[in-house]
Amino acid sequence: MLSSKEYEEIFPSLKRKINGHKLIYLDNAATTLRPKEVMDAVNEYSLNHHANVHRSTHTLAAEATQYYEDARSKVANFINADPEEVIFTKGATESLNLVAYSVADSNLLRSDDEILIPTIEHHANFVPWQQIAKIFNLKIKYYSAKNGIFDSSDFLKHVTNKTKLVSITALSNVTGQLIPVNTLVKQLRNIRQDIIIVVDGAQAVPHMPIDVKQMDCDFLAFSGHKMLGPTGIGVLYGKRKYLNVMTPFLFGGEMIDKVSTDGTTFNVLPYKFEAGTPNVDGAVGLAKAIEILESIGMDNIQEHDKQLTLYALKKLKELDFLEIFGPQDETQQSIISFNIKGVHPHDVAHLLNDLTGVAIRSGHHCAQPLMKEFGTTATCRVSFYLYNEEEDVDKLCEGLKKVWEWLK
Amino acid sequence: MVEIGLEELYSDIILDYAKNERYKKEIQNAKKAEGKNLSCGDEITLYLKVEDNIIKEITFTGHGCIISQASASMMCEYLEGKTVDEANKILQEIIKMSQGKEFDKELVDGIEIFSDISKFPMRTKCFTLAWHTLDDALNGEKM
Repeated sequence: MLSSKEYEEIFPSLKRKINGHKLIYLDNAATTLRPKEVMDAVNEYSLNHHANVHRSTHTLAAEATQYYEDARSKVANFINADPEEVIFTKGATESLNLVAYSVADSNLLRSDDEILIPTIEHHANFVPWQQIAKIFNLKIKYYSAKNGIFDSSDFLKHVTNKTKLVSITALSNVTGQLIPVNTLVKQLRNIRQDIIIVVDGAQAVPHMPIDVKQMDCDFLAFSGHKMLGPTGIGVLYGKRKYLNVMTPFLFGGEMIDKVSTDGTTFNVLPYKFEAGTPNVDGAVGLAKAIEILESIGMDNIQEHDKQLTLYALKKLKELDFLEIFGPQDETQQSIISFNIKGVHPHDVAHLLNDLTGVAIRSGHHCAQPLMKEFGTTATCRVSFYLYNEEEDVDKLCEGLKKVWEWLK
Repeated sequence: MVEIGLEELYSDIILDYAKNERYKKEIQNAKKAEGKNLSCGDEITLYLKVEDNIIKEITFTGHGCIISQASASMMCEYLEGKTVDEANKILQEIIKMSQGKEFDKELVDGIEIFSDISKFPMRTKCFTLAWHTLDDALNGEKM
Protein backbone atom coordinates (compact mmCIF):
# COMPACT_ATOMS: atom_id res chain seq x y z
CA MET A 1 0.00 0.00 0.00
CA LEU A 2 1.10 3.60 -0.56
CA SER A 3 1.74 6.28 2.06
CA SER A 4 -0.89 8.88 2.95
CA LYS A 5 1.23 11.56 1.21
CA GLU A 6 1.21 9.48 -1.97
CA TYR A 7 -2.54 8.98 -1.74
CA GLU A 8 -3.02 12.73 -1.34
CA GLU A 9 -1.34 13.19 -4.70
CA ILE A 10 -3.58 10.60 -6.35
CA PHE A 11 -6.84 11.75 -4.72
CA PRO A 12 -7.04 15.58 -4.65
CA SER A 13 -10.08 15.46 -2.30
CA LEU A 14 -7.81 14.12 0.44
CA LYS A 15 -6.21 17.55 0.61
CA ARG A 16 -9.54 19.19 1.36
CA LYS A 17 -10.00 20.95 4.67
CA ILE A 18 -13.38 20.66 6.38
CA ASN A 19 -13.90 23.45 8.93
CA GLY A 20 -10.13 23.70 9.22
CA HIS A 21 -9.68 19.96 9.72
CA LYS A 22 -8.09 17.59 7.26
CA LEU A 23 -10.81 15.57 5.54
CA ILE A 24 -11.07 12.02 6.85
CA TYR A 25 -13.29 10.29 4.31
CA LEU A 26 -15.07 7.28 5.81
CA ASP A 27 -18.06 7.05 3.46
CA ASN A 28 -16.57 4.73 0.87
CA ALA A 29 -19.49 2.31 0.87
CA ALA A 30 -21.58 5.17 -0.55
CA THR A 31 -19.03 6.22 -3.12
CA THR A 32 -15.24 6.43 -3.31
CA LEU A 33 -13.05 9.45 -3.92
CA ARG A 34 -11.84 10.16 -7.43
CA PRO A 35 -8.26 9.67 -8.52
CA LYS A 36 -7.02 12.48 -10.76
CA GLU A 37 -5.79 9.88 -13.25
CA VAL A 38 -9.33 8.56 -13.74
CA MET A 39 -10.68 11.99 -14.56
CA ASP A 40 -7.68 12.69 -16.82
CA ALA A 41 -8.46 9.52 -18.76
CA VAL A 42 -12.12 10.54 -19.11
CA ASN A 43 -11.02 14.00 -20.28
CA GLU A 44 -8.54 12.62 -22.77
CA TYR A 45 -11.19 10.38 -24.29
CA SER A 46 -13.85 13.04 -24.15
CA LEU A 47 -11.85 15.88 -25.66
CA ASN A 48 -9.86 14.01 -28.30
CA HIS A 49 -11.50 10.70 -29.22
CA HIS A 50 -15.20 11.02 -28.58
CA ALA A 51 -17.82 10.03 -31.16
CA ASN A 52 -20.71 7.60 -31.12
CA VAL A 53 -19.66 3.96 -30.85
CA HIS A 54 -20.38 1.02 -33.16
CA ARG A 55 -22.02 3.15 -35.82
CA SER A 56 -20.09 5.40 -38.16
CA THR A 57 -16.94 4.49 -40.07
CA HIS A 58 -14.97 7.68 -39.45
CA THR A 59 -11.77 7.78 -37.41
CA LEU A 60 -13.23 9.19 -34.19
CA ALA A 61 -16.03 6.61 -34.24
CA ALA A 62 -13.44 3.87 -34.59
CA GLU A 63 -11.36 5.29 -31.73
CA ALA A 64 -14.38 5.70 -29.47
CA THR A 65 -15.44 2.13 -30.18
CA GLN A 66 -11.92 0.94 -29.41
CA TYR A 67 -11.93 2.82 -26.07
CA TYR A 68 -15.31 1.38 -25.15
CA GLU A 69 -14.50 -2.20 -26.06
CA ASP A 70 -11.08 -1.98 -24.41
CA ALA A 71 -12.86 -0.90 -21.24
CA ARG A 72 -15.15 -3.90 -21.51
CA SER A 73 -12.19 -6.25 -21.91
CA LYS A 74 -10.52 -4.64 -18.90
CA VAL A 75 -13.62 -5.23 -16.78
CA ALA A 76 -14.00 -8.79 -18.09
CA ASN A 77 -10.40 -9.58 -17.23
CA PHE A 78 -10.80 -8.01 -13.78
CA ILE A 79 -13.54 -10.49 -12.81
CA ASN A 80 -12.35 -13.34 -15.07
CA ALA A 81 -15.32 -13.20 -17.44
CA ASP A 82 -15.56 -13.13 -21.22
CA PRO A 83 -16.15 -9.67 -22.73
CA GLU A 84 -19.52 -10.60 -24.26
CA GLU A 85 -20.73 -11.54 -20.78
CA VAL A 86 -20.02 -8.01 -19.54
CA ILE A 87 -22.92 -5.59 -19.97
CA PHE A 88 -22.40 -1.95 -19.17
CA THR A 89 -25.23 -0.38 -17.17
CA LYS A 90 -25.51 2.83 -15.20
CA GLY A 91 -24.81 1.04 -11.93
CA ALA A 92 -25.50 -2.01 -9.77
CA THR A 93 -29.11 -0.87 -9.34
CA GLU A 94 -29.80 -0.97 -13.06
CA SER A 95 -27.89 -4.26 -13.33
CA LEU A 96 -30.12 -5.88 -10.71
CA ASN A 97 -33.28 -4.44 -12.25
CA LEU A 98 -32.18 -5.79 -15.62
CA VAL A 99 -31.68 -9.34 -14.29
CA ALA A 100 -34.89 -9.32 -12.26
CA TYR A 101 -37.09 -8.05 -15.06
CA SER A 102 -35.50 -10.00 -17.86
CA VAL A 103 -35.32 -13.30 -15.99
CA ALA A 104 -39.03 -13.01 -15.18
CA ASP A 105 -39.97 -11.83 -18.66
CA SER A 106 -38.05 -14.73 -20.24
CA ASN A 107 -40.10 -17.34 -18.38
CA LEU A 108 -37.04 -18.68 -16.60
CA LEU A 109 -39.21 -19.00 -13.49
CA ARG A 110 -42.23 -21.29 -13.52
CA SER A 111 -45.31 -20.66 -11.44
CA ASP A 112 -44.30 -23.05 -8.63
CA ASP A 113 -40.71 -21.74 -8.52
CA GLU A 114 -39.69 -19.52 -5.65
CA ILE A 115 -37.40 -16.52 -5.37
CA LEU A 116 -35.50 -16.29 -2.06
CA ILE A 117 -34.13 -12.96 -0.83
CA PRO A 118 -32.39 -12.35 2.53
CA THR A 119 -33.52 -9.35 4.59
CA ILE A 120 -29.94 -8.05 4.83
CA GLU A 121 -30.12 -6.86 1.23
CA HIS A 122 -29.80 -3.30 -0.03
CA HIS A 123 -33.09 -2.02 -1.44
CA ALA A 124 -31.57 -2.36 -4.94
CA ASN A 125 -31.43 -6.13 -4.39
CA PHE A 126 -34.75 -6.32 -2.60
CA VAL A 127 -37.32 -4.06 -4.25
CA PRO A 128 -36.76 -5.25 -7.88
CA TRP A 129 -37.44 -8.87 -6.85
CA GLN A 130 -40.44 -7.92 -4.76
CA GLN A 131 -41.86 -5.90 -7.65
CA ILE A 132 -41.25 -8.44 -10.42
CA ALA A 133 -42.87 -11.08 -8.20
CA LYS A 134 -45.91 -8.82 -8.07
CA ILE A 135 -45.93 -7.96 -11.78
CA PHE A 136 -45.29 -11.51 -13.05
CA ASN A 137 -47.25 -13.21 -10.27
CA LEU A 138 -44.22 -15.15 -8.99
CA LYS A 139 -43.60 -16.60 -5.54
CA ILE A 140 -41.10 -14.77 -3.38
CA LYS A 141 -39.82 -15.70 0.07
CA TYR A 142 -37.60 -13.74 2.41
CA TYR A 143 -34.94 -15.08 4.71
CA SER A 144 -34.88 -13.12 7.93
CA ALA A 145 -31.33 -12.87 9.26
CA LYS A 146 -31.46 -12.88 13.08
CA ASN A 147 -29.97 -9.67 14.53
CA GLY A 148 -29.07 -8.71 11.00
CA ILE A 149 -26.33 -11.35 10.82
CA PHE A 150 -26.50 -13.76 7.90
CA ASP A 151 -26.03 -17.41 8.89
CA SER A 152 -25.33 -19.70 5.92
CA SER A 153 -26.52 -22.92 7.55
CA ASP A 154 -29.72 -21.27 8.79
CA PHE A 155 -30.25 -19.73 5.35
CA LEU A 156 -29.78 -23.08 3.60
CA LYS A 157 -32.60 -24.54 5.71
CA HIS A 158 -34.90 -22.15 3.84
CA VAL A 159 -33.74 -23.38 0.45
CA THR A 160 -35.80 -26.19 -1.09
CA ASN A 161 -36.05 -27.81 -4.50
CA LYS A 162 -38.67 -25.14 -5.24
CA THR A 163 -36.12 -22.37 -4.79
CA LYS A 164 -35.26 -21.36 -8.33
CA LEU A 165 -33.56 -18.03 -7.75
CA VAL A 166 -31.45 -16.59 -4.94
CA SER A 167 -30.13 -13.05 -5.02
CA ILE A 168 -27.66 -12.17 -2.31
CA THR A 169 -25.01 -9.63 -1.49
CA ALA A 170 -21.39 -10.73 -1.18
CA LEU A 171 -20.72 -8.06 1.44
CA SER A 172 -23.40 -6.31 3.49
CA ASN A 173 -23.50 -2.57 2.83
CA VAL A 174 -24.56 -1.98 6.45
CA THR A 175 -22.66 -4.45 8.66
CA GLY A 176 -19.74 -5.20 6.36
CA GLN A 177 -20.42 -8.90 6.88
CA LEU A 178 -18.64 -11.01 4.27
CA ILE A 179 -20.98 -13.63 2.88
CA PRO A 180 -19.08 -16.80 1.91
CA VAL A 181 -20.56 -16.70 -1.59
CA ASN A 182 -18.18 -19.19 -3.22
CA THR A 183 -19.14 -21.91 -0.74
CA LEU A 184 -22.77 -20.89 -0.70
CA VAL A 185 -23.08 -21.23 -4.49
CA LYS A 186 -21.88 -24.85 -4.28
CA GLN A 187 -24.26 -25.60 -1.42
CA LEU A 188 -27.18 -24.05 -3.31
CA ARG A 189 -26.41 -26.08 -6.44
CA ASN A 190 -26.36 -29.23 -4.32
CA ILE A 191 -29.94 -28.52 -3.35
CA ARG A 192 -31.08 -27.58 -6.83
CA GLN A 193 -28.74 -27.91 -9.81
CA ASP A 194 -30.52 -25.36 -12.02
CA ILE A 195 -30.89 -22.68 -9.36
CA ILE A 196 -30.17 -19.17 -10.64
CA ILE A 197 -27.75 -17.32 -8.37
CA VAL A 198 -27.46 -13.54 -8.54
CA VAL A 199 -24.74 -11.83 -6.53
CA ASP A 200 -24.88 -8.15 -5.59
CA GLY A 201 -21.20 -7.28 -5.75
CA ALA A 202 -21.58 -3.53 -5.24
CA GLN A 203 -19.61 -3.64 -1.96
CA ALA A 204 -17.50 -6.75 -2.56
CA VAL A 205 -16.05 -6.14 -6.02
CA PRO A 206 -14.21 -2.93 -4.99
CA HIS A 207 -12.65 -4.58 -1.93
CA MET A 208 -11.46 -8.08 -2.87
CA PRO A 209 -10.37 -10.25 -5.79
CA ILE A 210 -13.44 -11.62 -7.60
CA ASP A 211 -13.38 -14.48 -10.07
CA VAL A 212 -16.81 -15.23 -11.50
CA LYS A 213 -15.73 -18.60 -12.89
CA GLN A 214 -14.51 -19.70 -9.48
CA MET A 215 -17.55 -18.22 -7.74
CA ASP A 216 -19.81 -19.87 -10.32
CA CYS A 217 -22.59 -17.34 -9.80
CA ASP A 218 -24.94 -16.79 -12.74
CA PHE A 219 -25.03 -13.01 -12.46
CA LEU A 220 -22.89 -10.41 -10.71
CA ALA A 221 -23.80 -6.72 -10.39
CA PHE A 222 -21.52 -3.85 -9.39
CA SER A 223 -20.99 -0.09 -9.73
CA GLY A 224 -18.01 1.88 -10.99
CA HIS A 225 -18.29 4.75 -8.53
CA LYS A 226 -17.65 2.55 -5.48
CA MET A 227 -14.29 1.47 -6.94
CA LEU A 228 -12.66 4.79 -7.88
CA GLY A 229 -14.61 5.14 -11.12
CA PRO A 230 -17.10 7.79 -12.22
CA THR A 231 -20.83 7.67 -11.40
CA GLY A 232 -23.26 6.46 -14.04
CA ILE A 233 -21.31 3.37 -15.05
CA GLY A 234 -21.87 -0.12 -13.72
CA VAL A 235 -21.65 -3.71 -14.80
CA LEU A 236 -23.81 -6.75 -15.09
CA TYR A 237 -21.93 -9.97 -15.59
CA GLY A 238 -24.13 -12.84 -16.74
CA LYS A 239 -23.47 -16.39 -17.85
CA ARG A 240 -23.80 -16.65 -21.60
CA LYS A 241 -26.32 -19.50 -21.37
CA TYR A 242 -28.77 -17.20 -19.57
CA LEU A 243 -28.03 -13.95 -21.39
CA ASN A 244 -28.59 -15.68 -24.73
CA VAL A 245 -32.12 -16.75 -23.88
CA MET A 246 -33.11 -13.63 -21.96
CA THR A 247 -35.25 -10.89 -23.47
CA PRO A 248 -33.77 -7.37 -23.57
CA PHE A 249 -34.56 -4.99 -20.73
CA LEU A 250 -34.42 -1.80 -22.80
CA PHE A 251 -35.28 -1.42 -26.46
CA GLY A 252 -33.93 1.05 -29.00
CA GLY A 253 -30.87 1.68 -31.08
CA GLU A 254 -27.75 -0.47 -30.96
CA MET A 255 -29.52 -3.48 -29.47
CA ILE A 256 -31.32 -4.56 -32.67
CA ASP A 257 -30.53 -6.93 -35.52
CA LYS A 258 -33.37 -6.35 -38.03
CA VAL A 259 -36.28 -4.00 -37.56
CA SER A 260 -39.42 -3.88 -39.66
CA THR A 261 -43.10 -3.26 -39.14
CA ASP A 262 -43.45 -7.04 -38.81
CA GLY A 263 -41.18 -7.19 -35.79
CA THR A 264 -37.61 -6.95 -34.55
CA THR A 265 -34.77 -9.35 -33.97
CA PHE A 266 -32.04 -8.48 -31.54
CA ASN A 267 -28.29 -7.95 -31.64
CA VAL A 268 -25.77 -10.42 -30.23
CA LEU A 269 -24.28 -10.26 -26.72
CA PRO A 270 -23.59 -7.97 -25.01
CA TYR A 271 -25.19 -5.36 -27.31
CA LYS A 272 -28.62 -6.92 -26.95
CA PHE A 273 -28.67 -5.43 -23.45
CA GLU A 274 -27.14 -2.05 -24.26
CA ALA A 275 -29.85 0.01 -25.95
CA GLY A 276 -29.03 3.60 -26.84
CA THR A 277 -25.75 5.48 -26.88
CA PRO A 278 -23.72 4.06 -24.00
CA ASN A 279 -21.78 5.91 -21.30
CA VAL A 280 -18.37 5.66 -22.96
CA ASP A 281 -16.86 8.34 -20.68
CA GLY A 282 -17.89 6.25 -17.69
CA ALA A 283 -16.52 3.04 -19.16
CA VAL A 284 -13.18 4.72 -19.89
CA GLY A 285 -13.04 6.05 -16.32
CA LEU A 286 -13.91 2.66 -14.88
CA ALA A 287 -11.17 1.00 -16.95
CA LYS A 288 -8.62 3.46 -15.57
CA ALA A 289 -9.91 2.89 -12.03
CA ILE A 290 -9.41 -0.85 -12.49
CA GLU A 291 -5.86 -0.22 -13.70
CA ILE A 292 -5.13 1.68 -10.50
CA LEU A 293 -6.69 -1.00 -8.31
CA GLU A 294 -4.77 -3.74 -10.12
CA SER A 295 -1.50 -1.86 -9.76
CA ILE A 296 -2.00 -1.90 -5.98
CA GLY A 297 -3.40 -5.42 -6.05
CA MET A 298 -6.86 -6.57 -4.97
CA ASP A 299 -5.31 -9.03 -2.48
CA ASN A 300 -3.43 -6.16 -0.86
CA ILE A 301 -6.54 -3.99 -0.77
CA GLN A 302 -8.56 -6.74 0.89
CA GLU A 303 -5.87 -7.44 3.47
CA HIS A 304 -5.53 -3.72 4.22
CA ASP A 305 -9.30 -3.30 4.61
CA LYS A 306 -9.59 -6.38 6.82
CA GLN A 307 -6.82 -5.27 9.16
CA LEU A 308 -8.14 -1.72 9.33
CA THR A 309 -11.66 -2.99 10.08
CA LEU A 310 -10.37 -5.20 12.91
CA TYR A 311 -8.40 -2.26 14.31
CA ALA A 312 -11.48 -0.01 14.12
CA LEU A 313 -13.68 -2.65 15.77
CA LYS A 314 -11.20 -2.91 18.64
CA LYS A 315 -11.07 0.87 19.06
CA LEU A 316 -14.83 1.40 18.75
CA LYS A 317 -15.55 -1.37 21.29
CA GLU A 318 -13.54 0.67 23.82
CA LEU A 319 -16.15 3.43 23.59
CA ASP A 320 -18.85 2.32 26.02
CA PHE A 321 -21.41 4.81 24.72
CA LEU A 322 -21.60 3.00 21.37
CA GLU A 323 -23.85 0.18 20.22
CA ILE A 324 -22.18 -1.71 17.36
CA PHE A 325 -24.17 -3.80 14.86
CA GLY A 326 -23.02 -6.83 12.89
CA PRO A 327 -20.65 -9.75 13.51
CA GLN A 328 -17.77 -7.64 14.93
CA ASP A 329 -15.12 -10.20 14.07
CA GLU A 330 -12.87 -11.20 11.16
CA THR A 331 -15.94 -11.98 9.00
CA GLN A 332 -16.49 -8.25 8.75
CA GLN A 333 -14.69 -6.09 6.23
CA SER A 334 -14.54 -2.44 5.20
CA ILE A 335 -17.82 -1.37 6.86
CA ILE A 336 -18.97 -0.85 10.46
CA SER A 337 -22.40 0.34 11.64
CA PHE A 338 -23.02 1.72 15.12
CA ASN A 339 -25.06 4.18 17.12
CA ILE A 340 -24.28 6.51 19.98
CA LYS A 341 -26.79 5.49 22.62
CA GLY A 342 -29.73 7.89 22.66
CA VAL A 343 -28.41 10.13 19.90
CA HIS A 344 -29.81 10.22 16.39
CA PRO A 345 -27.22 9.26 13.70
CA HIS A 346 -27.82 12.48 11.73
CA ASP A 347 -26.73 14.54 14.68
CA VAL A 348 -23.64 12.37 15.14
CA ALA A 349 -22.66 12.59 11.48
CA HIS A 350 -23.22 16.34 11.34
CA LEU A 351 -21.24 17.12 14.50
CA LEU A 352 -18.46 14.71 13.56
CA ASN A 353 -18.08 16.48 10.24
CA ASP A 354 -18.12 20.01 11.59
CA LEU A 355 -16.05 19.33 14.72
CA THR A 356 -13.42 17.00 13.26
CA GLY A 357 -13.69 16.76 9.45
CA VAL A 358 -14.58 13.05 9.64
CA ALA A 359 -17.13 12.18 6.93
CA ILE A 360 -19.44 9.29 7.80
CA ARG A 361 -22.87 8.19 6.61
CA SER A 362 -26.02 8.26 8.70
CA GLY A 363 -29.44 6.88 7.86
CA HIS A 364 -31.05 3.59 6.91
CA HIS A 365 -28.46 2.90 4.19
CA CYS A 366 -31.19 1.76 1.78
CA ALA A 367 -31.72 -1.31 3.96
CA GLN A 368 -34.95 -0.78 5.90
CA PRO A 369 -35.68 -4.53 6.33
CA LEU A 370 -32.25 -4.90 7.96
CA MET A 371 -32.83 -1.84 10.19
CA LYS A 372 -35.96 -3.63 11.37
CA GLU A 373 -33.86 -6.68 12.33
CA PHE A 374 -31.69 -4.34 14.41
CA GLY A 375 -34.76 -2.77 15.98
CA THR A 376 -33.73 0.70 14.86
CA THR A 377 -34.50 3.08 12.01
CA ALA A 378 -31.03 4.42 11.29
CA THR A 379 -27.37 3.92 12.12
CA CYS A 380 -24.03 5.65 11.73
CA ARG A 381 -21.82 3.88 9.22
CA VAL A 382 -18.10 4.14 8.61
CA SER A 383 -16.56 2.49 5.58
CA PHE A 384 -12.92 2.26 4.60
CA TYR A 385 -10.92 2.04 1.41
CA LEU A 386 -7.30 1.80 0.37
CA TYR A 387 -6.42 5.41 1.31
CA ASN A 388 -7.66 5.09 4.91
CA GLU A 389 -5.27 4.27 7.74
CA GLU A 390 -5.25 3.61 11.48
CA GLU A 391 -4.78 7.32 12.18
CA ASP A 392 -8.17 7.95 10.52
CA VAL A 393 -9.77 5.49 12.95
CA ASP A 394 -8.07 7.25 15.88
CA LYS A 395 -9.47 10.59 14.68
CA LEU A 396 -12.90 9.02 14.29
CA CYS A 397 -12.79 7.79 17.90
CA GLU A 398 -11.60 11.16 19.22
CA GLY A 399 -14.39 12.80 17.23
CA LEU A 400 -17.02 10.42 18.60
CA LYS A 401 -15.88 11.26 22.14
CA LYS A 402 -16.33 14.97 21.36
CA VAL A 403 -19.80 14.37 19.95
CA TRP A 404 -20.72 12.31 23.01
CA GLU A 405 -19.51 15.08 25.33
CA TRP A 406 -21.59 17.58 23.37
CA LEU A 407 -24.84 15.65 23.24
CA LYS A 408 -24.93 13.23 26.18
CA MET B 1 -12.44 26.60 16.48
CA VAL B 2 -15.96 25.39 16.12
CA GLU B 3 -18.07 27.30 13.63
CA ILE B 4 -20.50 29.66 15.33
CA GLY B 5 -23.33 28.21 13.25
CA LEU B 6 -22.86 24.78 14.77
CA GLU B 7 -22.91 26.17 18.31
CA GLU B 8 -26.15 27.92 17.49
CA LEU B 9 -27.65 24.92 15.75
CA TYR B 10 -26.98 22.72 18.76
CA SER B 11 -27.61 25.43 21.37
CA ASP B 12 -28.95 24.54 24.82
CA ILE B 13 -32.34 25.97 23.86
CA ILE B 14 -32.61 23.67 20.85
CA LEU B 15 -31.37 20.66 22.83
CA ASP B 16 -33.99 21.43 25.50
CA TYR B 17 -36.76 21.60 22.92
CA ALA B 18 -35.60 18.30 21.42
CA LYS B 19 -35.87 16.62 24.83
CA ASN B 20 -39.13 18.33 25.75
CA GLU B 21 -41.93 15.73 25.66
CA ARG B 22 -44.74 18.19 26.40
CA TYR B 23 -46.07 18.18 22.85
CA LYS B 24 -45.06 14.65 22.00
CA LYS B 25 -48.32 12.74 22.25
CA GLU B 26 -51.30 11.63 20.22
CA ILE B 27 -54.63 13.49 20.35
CA GLN B 28 -57.75 11.41 19.81
CA ASN B 29 -60.23 12.56 17.13
CA ALA B 30 -57.85 15.20 15.86
CA LYS B 31 -56.94 16.19 12.34
CA LYS B 32 -53.87 14.17 11.42
CA ALA B 33 -51.05 14.61 8.92
CA GLU B 34 -48.00 12.49 8.32
CA GLY B 35 -44.63 13.75 7.17
CA LYS B 36 -41.51 11.84 6.16
CA ASN B 37 -37.99 12.56 5.09
CA LEU B 38 -37.54 9.62 2.78
CA SER B 39 -33.78 9.82 2.59
CA CYS B 40 -33.25 9.73 6.38
CA GLY B 41 -36.29 7.76 7.45
CA ASP B 42 -37.45 10.49 9.85
CA GLU B 43 -41.21 10.43 10.36
CA ILE B 44 -43.66 12.59 12.23
CA THR B 45 -47.40 12.56 12.68
CA LEU B 46 -48.99 15.87 13.52
CA TYR B 47 -52.28 16.11 15.46
CA LEU B 48 -54.32 19.26 15.23
CA LYS B 49 -57.53 20.34 16.98
CA VAL B 50 -59.05 23.48 15.49
CA GLU B 51 -62.09 25.17 17.01
CA ASP B 52 -63.57 28.45 15.73
CA ASN B 53 -60.58 28.77 13.42
CA ILE B 54 -58.23 28.65 16.45
CA ILE B 55 -55.61 25.96 16.98
CA LYS B 56 -56.72 24.67 20.37
CA GLU B 57 -54.34 21.75 20.55
CA ILE B 58 -51.36 20.70 18.47
CA THR B 59 -49.05 17.74 19.16
CA PHE B 60 -46.81 15.30 17.31
CA THR B 61 -45.41 11.78 17.47
CA GLY B 62 -42.58 10.14 15.54
CA HIS B 63 -38.83 9.96 15.52
CA GLY B 64 -35.92 11.86 14.08
CA CYS B 65 -32.78 13.84 14.84
CA ILE B 66 -32.41 16.66 17.35
CA ILE B 67 -33.16 19.30 14.74
CA SER B 68 -36.39 17.69 13.54
CA GLN B 69 -37.60 16.96 17.08
CA ALA B 70 -36.75 20.43 18.40
CA SER B 71 -38.37 22.04 15.40
CA ALA B 72 -41.61 20.07 15.85
CA SER B 73 -41.70 20.75 19.57
CA MET B 74 -41.07 24.47 19.10
CA MET B 75 -43.65 24.69 16.34
CA CYS B 76 -46.36 23.14 18.49
CA GLU B 77 -45.62 25.48 21.39
CA TYR B 78 -45.62 28.49 19.09
CA LEU B 79 -48.83 27.71 17.24
CA GLU B 80 -51.01 26.67 20.17
CA GLY B 81 -53.72 29.32 20.48
CA LYS B 82 -53.01 30.97 17.13
CA THR B 83 -55.63 31.21 14.39
CA VAL B 84 -55.33 29.11 11.25
CA ASP B 85 -54.67 32.27 9.22
CA GLU B 86 -51.88 33.31 11.57
CA ALA B 87 -50.41 29.81 11.37
CA ASN B 88 -50.40 29.99 7.59
CA LYS B 89 -48.65 33.36 7.61
CA ILE B 90 -46.07 32.07 10.08
CA LEU B 91 -45.56 28.99 7.93
CA GLN B 92 -44.77 31.15 4.91
CA GLU B 93 -42.20 33.17 6.85
CA ILE B 94 -40.63 30.00 8.24
CA ILE B 95 -40.21 28.54 4.76
CA LYS B 96 -38.59 31.80 3.58
CA MET B 97 -36.26 31.69 6.57
CA SER B 98 -35.30 28.08 5.84
CA GLN B 99 -34.38 29.11 2.30
CA GLY B 100 -32.16 31.93 3.52
CA LYS B 101 -34.54 34.60 2.21
CA GLU B 102 -35.76 37.77 3.93
CA PHE B 103 -38.46 37.00 6.48
CA ASP B 104 -40.61 38.80 9.00
CA LYS B 105 -38.75 38.33 12.32
CA GLU B 106 -41.68 39.54 14.41
CA LEU B 107 -43.96 36.84 13.07
CA VAL B 108 -41.55 34.03 13.94
CA ASP B 109 -40.35 35.40 17.27
CA GLY B 110 -38.23 32.75 19.01
CA ILE B 111 -38.08 30.38 16.07
CA GLU B 112 -35.50 32.60 14.39
CA ILE B 113 -33.04 30.72 16.59
CA PHE B 114 -33.09 28.40 13.55
CA SER B 115 -32.35 31.22 11.11
CA ASP B 116 -28.93 29.73 10.30
CA ILE B 117 -30.50 26.50 9.11
CA SER B 118 -30.20 27.57 5.48
CA LYS B 119 -26.43 27.44 5.92
CA PHE B 120 -26.73 23.70 6.55
CA PRO B 121 -28.34 22.47 3.33
CA MET B 122 -28.20 18.85 4.49
CA ARG B 123 -30.16 19.73 7.64
CA THR B 124 -32.74 22.16 6.25
CA LYS B 125 -35.15 19.31 5.59
CA CYS B 126 -34.84 18.17 9.22
CA PHE B 127 -36.00 21.60 10.36
CA THR B 128 -38.79 21.95 7.78
CA LEU B 129 -40.27 18.44 8.23
CA ALA B 130 -42.69 19.57 10.95
CA TRP B 131 -43.63 22.71 9.04
CA HIS B 132 -44.27 20.90 5.76
CA THR B 133 -46.42 18.45 7.70
CA LEU B 134 -48.30 21.40 9.17
CA ASP B 135 -48.85 22.73 5.65
CA ASP B 136 -50.33 19.36 4.75
CA ALA B 137 -52.53 19.36 7.87
CA LEU B 138 -53.83 22.89 7.25
CA ASN B 139 -54.00 23.02 3.49
CA GLY B 140 -53.54 19.53 2.12
CA GLU B 141 -56.07 16.80 1.61
CA LYS B 142 -57.89 15.82 4.79
CA MET B 143 -56.86 12.44 6.05
